[in-house]
Amino acid sequence: MAEAVELRGIRKTYDHFVAVDRLSLNIREGSVYGLLGPNGAGKTSTIRMMIGITMPDEGEVRLFGEPFHREQLDRIGYLPEERGLYKKMKVLDHLIFLGRLHNLSEHDARKRSLDWCERLQIADWEQKKVEELSKGMQQKIQFIATLLHDPALVIMDEPFAGLDPANSVMLKDVLIELKRAGKTILFSTHRMDQVERLCDSICLIDHGRAILEGDLKKIKSSYGKNHVQMQYEGDPHLDGCELLESLNNYGNYVEARLKPGADAQQLLRMTAERARISRFELLEPSLEEIFIDRVGKNA
Amino acid sequence: MHNVWILLRREYLERVRSRSFIIFTVLMPAIMAGSVLVPAKIAEMSSGGEKRIVIVANDPQLGAAVGHELGNSKTNSDPDVGQSELQPTLYTIQVDTDTSDAERDLLAQQVNEGKITGFLWLSDEALANHKVVYSTKEAADFDQSRELHNAIRTAVTRHRLAQKGMSGPELDSLLTPITLKTVRPEKGKPGASNTTIFVTAFAMVVLLYAVVMIYGLAVMRSVIEEKSTRIMEVLLSSATSKQLLAGKILGVGAVGLTQILVWVIFAGLFSVPGLLAAKSFLGEVHLSIFAVAAFAVFFLLGYLLYSAMYAAIGAMVNSDQEAQQVQWPAMMPIVIAVFLMSAVIQHPNSAMAFWLSIVPFFAPILMLVRVLIETPPLWQIALCIALMLATIYGLLVLSSRIYRVGILMYGKRPTLPELRRWLKYAG
Repeated sequence: MAEAVELRGIRKTYDHFVAVDRLSLNIREGSVYGLLGPNGAGKTSTIRMMIGITMPDEGEVRLFGEPFHREQLDRIGYLPEERGLYKKMKVLDHLIFLGRLHNLSEHDARKRSLDWCERLQIADWEQKKVEELSKGMQQKIQFIATLLHDPALVIMDEPFAGLDPANSVMLKDVLIELKRAGKTILFSTHRMDQVERLCDSICLIDHGRAILEGDLKKIKSSYGKNHVQMQYEGDPHLDGCELLESLNNYGNYVEARLKPGADAQQLLRMTAERARISRFELLEPSLEEIFIDRVGKNA
Repeated sequence: MHNVWILLRREYLERVRSRSFIIFTVLMPAIMAGSVLVPAKIAEMSSGGEKRIVIVANDPQLGAAVGHELGNSKTNSDPDVGQSELQPTLYTIQVDTDTSDAERDLLAQQVNEGKITGFLWLSDEALANHKVVYSTKEAADFDQSRELHNAIRTAVTRHRLAQKGMSGPELDSLLTPITLKTVRPEKGKPGASNTTIFVTAFAMVVLLYAVVMIYGLAVMRSVIEEKSTRIMEVLLSSATSKQLLAGKILGVGAVGLTQILVWVIFAGLFSVPGLLAAKSFLGEVHLSIFAVAAFAVFFLLGYLLYSAMYAAIGAMVNSDQEAQQVQWPAMMPIVIAVFLMSAVIQHPNSAMAFWLSIVPFFAPILMLVRVLIETPPLWQIALCIALMLATIYGLLVLSSRIYRVGILMYGKRPTLPELRRWLKYAG
């Protein structure tokens, strides 16, 4: 399948600070991609270079199979982390203005804005000024502005930050719909648990460098099922067990990680001798654990 | 270009529709008209009315002569000042030949009681001492004391010459005052007097200064607003920082031009009654097409020059308060230019005036003054405009670099070395 985004060794430095360091990644068309990493890892800098807000010092950005050029921006919807609206403008005028900047005609921009407002239940507010709207409603306006021109590639920087629960669900539903419609979606976030379930592929970055990139399922299975969750009655005496690397004991429930090469069945037999086990499950590690593991190794 | 147009249109429409624009557009001419009309009206009111004056003189003929001169005083006034529109004061003169101290006390009492406006002590003794006293409760205004002074001087001179044996017609021709009228030769036409040109030039330059400042600052505030509301990055996903800067400066500039246009129309509608009233002390307001064109050109150039700087400052800071600390470098030149204005008005053709007026940062004020007062050679105007255009281009390049980096920076204001590095960033 074709690549929606292809970064080839891009690098960006500000003075002596390296924001992004020879980063390469590929985002398949139609996939949901997570750009993950802690705050200050270089996620926003990467996105800015992806859409021409800043230029990379080195490397190449290719979108939709071509080297980057500004006309491609009409096919991209970007929701920045730092997002805002003109407070004094009327909602409908504002949406039309942003739509027209993405090359929609006045007529199309108006029609689509009205449709979206209807759909997200803010149609009554079209003629109100932005400053009269609640924060949640302003967030809806921002989503609409991002999606108004029906972009093939949707880029969202920390989309769930600051969302109220209702809007979070709404955004998730809209995103799933976009995915079904074949759009490419790129997330950037430091809250890995939030996007784990949505993403097909990920890139973990830290200090501007990719430390792990690829298909999420493959990454996880390559780590193997080395996590154990157990529920029991009695005392299995797991403290200091030579099979375990780490242990989180909640009394009648433990979460543990096996040492490399340790046999889970042996653990089960050992525990069963001492306690009554009601649940024993082998799991893949969470993204967060993988990240911590990787960062630890690199450091 | 398409994006610049959309950005410009938004900037323009949002501003023109705003309440503050409408209020300011209406209020400004009202204030201007008020500042012209109200003093005129007050002058009219205070100069009108009746004054009852008693002239105390040993010689009743002299007293009558002074009274006669006072009654005629208006016809002798300087035609250039053009007081014809004002109501002349009506004097009721009473001549009194009793120069005793008792009479003086009595008259003083009448002044205090408001029965008479004042009395003039023209006794022989006073004349011999060359010292005449006018007693009144009113604070004498400049015009009135000048009138009295003239009347007394003329009457006394006439009286003394008559005593030396001169006759009526001989005296009249001797005492006819000489009037002085200053004109400026303008290709054969009789031009307006210099006073009115100075006043007009001064008013236009102050207006230019005001609009350049107002709209320059509007650009800065609007950049700060876009930064603080965080809409900048949303816009950057479809427009370049250069387009944003261009749309902003052109949009706000178009608002400025609209406002000036509205004012010109206002002035046109208003000029009939307004200028008539103003004429009473300004003389004819002299506005040629050339002057209006020069104003428009220097407004545009001055606005571009200063708004480019203000946009860069707006991009550097995060709040209005911070902006106040750093906007002085942009404000300084135009303030200095206003200070230098009077020197240039006095010697518009001096070498100093030439060199100062072609400095691009001063030119909107100083070259405009020179153009309005005493059209300088065309090559000087052309040179000045060329220098300004070059400076504007340079400033726009610098500003757009600062702008490009600054609009994505939140938090700390850059230091000078940091600013220098911003200019070098590739993009």
